[in-house]
Amino acid sequence: MLKLHNMYKIYQTDEVETIALNGVNLEIAQGDFVAIMGPSGCGKSTLLNIIGMLDNPSEGDYFFFDENIAGYNESQRAEIRKQNIGFIFQSFNLIEELTVAENIELALLYHNMPSAERKKRVNSVMDRMGIAHRANHMPGQLSGGQQQRVAVARAVVGDQPLILADEPTGNLDSVHGQEVMELLRSLNKEGTTIVMVTHSPAHADYAHRRVNLFDGHIVTENTRAA
Amino acid sequence: MLWNNIVIAIRNLRKNKVFAAINISGLALGLTIYVFGGLLVEYEESHDQGFKNTPYTYTIGSVASPMLDVGVDRFNAVFMAVGPIIAAESPDIAAVARTRGIEYLVSTGIESFYENIRFADPEFLQIFDFEYLYGDADALLDPTGILFTESMAIKHFGKTDVLGETVSFDNEFDFHVAAVIKDVAANTHFHSILSDTGLGVVAPVRALNRLRDYDADAGDWNNLSFGDITYVMLPESLDQAWLQSQMNSIYERLVPDSQKEVISAFEVNRLQDANTAVWDMIGLPVIGVVSLLSLMILIIACVNYTNLATAQSLGRSREVGMRKTMGATQRQLLLQFLTESLVIATIAMVIAIAALEVIIPLFNNATDKIMTLDYLKTLPWLLLTTALVGLCAGLYPAWLITRTNPIEALRDTARKGRKSSKVRSVMIGAQFAISAFMLALVTIVFMQNDRVKEGSYIFPRSEIYTIDRLRVEGISDKLPTLRRELEALLNVDSVAYSSQVPFEQNNSQLGVSLQPGDDAGEFVLMNMRMSPEFLDAYDIPIIAGRNLGEEVSNDKQTDDDTTALNVLVNELALPLFGVTRAVDAVNKRFYSTDDDDGTSREFIVVGVVPTQNIVGLFNREKPWMYQYVPESFRIGSVRITGGNIMDTVENIEDIWNRVIPDYPIQGRFLDDVFEDVYQILRLMNAALAGFAFVALSLALIGLFGLAAFMAAQRTKEIGVRKVLGASSLQIARLLVWQFSTPVLWALLVALPAAYFGSRTYLNFFADRIESPLPILIAAGLVAVLLAWATIAGHAIRIASSNPITALRYE
Repeated sequence: MLKLHNMYKIYQTDEVETIALNGVNLEIAQGDFVAIMGPSGCGKSTLLNIIGMLDNPSEGDYFFFDENIAGYNESQRAEIRKQNIGFIFQSFNLIEELTVAENIELALLYHNMPSAERKKRVNSVMDRMGIAHRANHMPGQLSGGQQQRVAVARAVVGDQPLILADEPTGNLDSVHGQEVMELLRSLNKEGTTIVMVTHSPAHADYAHRRVNLFDGHIVTENTRAA
Repeated sequence: MLWNNIVIAIRNLRKNKVFAAINISGLALGLTIYVFGGLLVEYEESHDQGFKNTPYTYTIGSVASPMLDVGVDRFNAVFMAVGPIIAAESPDIAAVARTRGIEYLVSTGIESFYENIRFADPEFLQIFDFEYLYGDADALLDPTGILFTESMAIKHFGKTDVLGETVSFDNEFDFHVAAVIKDVAANTHFHSILSDTGLGVVAPVRALNRLRDYDADAGDWNNLSFGDITYVMLPESLDQAWLQSQMNSIYERLVPDSQKEVISAFEVNRLQDANTAVWDMIGLPVIGVVSLLSLMILIIACVNYTNLATAQSLGRSREVGMRKTMGATQRQLLLQFLTESLVIATIAMVIAIAALEVIIPLFNNATDKIMTLDYLKTLPWLLLTTALVGLCAGLYPAWLITRTNPIEALRDTARKGRKSSKVRSVMIGAQFAISAFMLALVTIVFMQNDRVKEGSYIFPRSEIYTIDRLRVEGISDKLPTLRRELEALLNVDSVAYSSQVPFEQNNSQLGVSLQPGDDAGEFVLMNMRMSPEFLDAYDIPIIAGRNLGEEVSNDKQTDDDTTALNVLVNELALPLFGVTRAVDAVNKRFYSTDDDDGTSREFIVVGVVPTQNIVGLFNREKPWMYQYVPESFRIGSVRITGGNIMDTVENIEDIWNRVIPDYPIQGRFLDDVFEDVYQILRLMNAALAGFAFVALSLALIGLFGLAAFMAAQRTKEIGVRKVLGASSLQIARLLVWQFSTPVLWALLVALPAAYFGSRTYLNFFADRIESPLPILIAAGLVAVLLAWATIAGHAIRIASSNPITALRYE
């Protein structure tokens, strides 16, 4: 599905040059469930951002469905991103001013979809995530676990084939964390490719593959039988 | 504690330099305008304080009856006959003095200048305690004595020691200088806006006996002009109300019935109001408007500050939370935030004062005023203003930020932002309402002024060279020669003489009726005395009948006024004869009803001309009559076509100097006659435009700051939206829309208000712009577009930023 080849990401500030990614090669197949692990500052989030086309690599190729998008500009990337990738963040990133349903609908708002169709899909995904009874609540009124369910719902409502999750359980207690992981697993079983950054080895166990990152290198890769 | 607060305030300003600059400059601008407006109003309203009798001195004004119909509600003048009546009726009065301004050629034998002579009763010098360099307050008791001001003496004689020197008026009447006084200060009513002739030469009213065979002791019931003020000085024991009741009684008992139709009441005003009364008289409350507008500007500036400070304070909720956690009470925190806003207000006031120290001398220079910023006198006001501005502007943000409980303050800023954003929207709306109101108003005033100007082009303004001051014995008999010589000039088309030219604000009128001996007042004709060439010179066509002629008997007024006089009328006069077609009015007869002695003159219509607005400007079109009356010629009109105009003017001057060597030529183009009156409209427009500009700038500065802040506040939301696939354009639209809503609401309030506000101005004019509606809409559109342009910069920058940067905010 996607292939990173010899990828570098270098942050240049006034005095120091930080190498966040140092020649990363990574291939992810459709239907995969990959966990990226590593200590703080090893480049996990940078890697995820580049995979998610939120950022451009400094060097290297990024083949997405055989299309090298490494040099694409923001609006070209946005177009591909919109069609193919859903995001889940550690801090949920729900919009405080919108209701649960509106937050989820936001993901469809920029897809040229008629309002009725949007409503239908939002309702169906809320049912699936068990948050239908919270549809008209504001995010601030929900618990962390419920908020992350909303975020997951927002990530999947567009039916994108790839979901990127940046420490989706980082802000949750273990019970809610597990709930979210179960959700992700069932999504993966339905065919969605998932790439997840996590600190928790237990949650990493849900993945088929574990990629360990250290100082911008991939140090080990373990694959586990599904 | 206080010092600590001030230090923190200054540190906070340093930390947010851009916001601090926006805050302070906005407030400083508002304060500058407000203080300047306040000083100006105070200056205009405190004229004549230098005279010791000002508190006891009143001026008598007349309320014009609707029948007078000269576009003016009130005069600060009464007929000259009134003064002697007051003196006779009320022996308790300390002094009564009439004044009348008339222009004369004043010659010392060496040099001659036209001067506006102020003819005054001798009591004038009792009422006003001028500073005498030579002579004394008895100067006007001698009907041949006159008084010069210092600079006037220097102008005519080159020195001030001129007591006893002889001067002549119109080369005919001799006077001797009986006193020289120091120049009268600029802040006296003698220098007020519409009659800014100052005080240069004062002559006794009684001299008018000799000059123009005028019964000065009795006065007259005919002439009412701005600036011809009758002063009444009361003893300390009597007040304005007493004088008013005296005047009411005089009006009831002693004003002739024919005059009651012109003047509906007498009005007693304080002398200290004489300077600003001019505006009340013409029905434009300029002083009040200046006060109101400068207050509005200050309000905008305060709202601006409140708005930005509220937005900024959200960023400091963590600080507040910490302070509260550590035991600060809400009162202490309130005090801290109010100290901050007071510090800002003080800095702004200091900047404003510095600006005024530059502006006031420039303004004085440009307007011949002597305004000063008297710190001693204004200090309480300045301090109070600073304190009020600091408190008013700072109270809301201080209250908002300090009232939350510490946990909430530490935890979550976004929701509070939401609550206060409604208030901020309302405040933005208020700012835009005021500035859109001003913008719309200024546009309407501009369009109306433009219409006035357009309307004036029915006369060939730039091709007519007028020569004034012809109604002098030494000149009138040379007018035929002058015309012959001028007409011989290559580029001179025609030369006409008349009693007035277009745009002069004269209103000579005559009551007429179809039957001789009818009562006065049914139908009033404006009265133009002119030579037959007038129609030629001004491109006025004859639409029925014929023009008046030189050789036709009864076309020209002679000494014999028992025979009927042939006249022209304009189309508006047709209703007098009950006809609608111009041709049907020819040969109709009518009679004057004006004279109190019952004699009436017969007139026969020989020609009809189209209706034109001769007086122009704010007056409406009226029925006019055109007579050929050589003895009334006061002003000449030379129509110049082609050639080098300045050369022709030079030729005209040469001819004048040859034909009438004793008198200097008083020539100017009709353009200048128009400008004379029009400039006041233009001045008002310019002042209003200045206010509108400042108001709009302030509102835009505020919007700019707020948009920057809100864009920063919504960084996360924008990031999320972008990650979810929103395009830059969609984001920009979102942000622009957020600020457009209050602006649009503001227009909904401002435009109707401007519509009604503009009517005050438009009502002043007879010929109004059709409908101010499209102008209002255009002004609203401009306000919205400017607002968009201001926000768009931020919106585009934020919208096109990388979503990662936005989300890294966490």
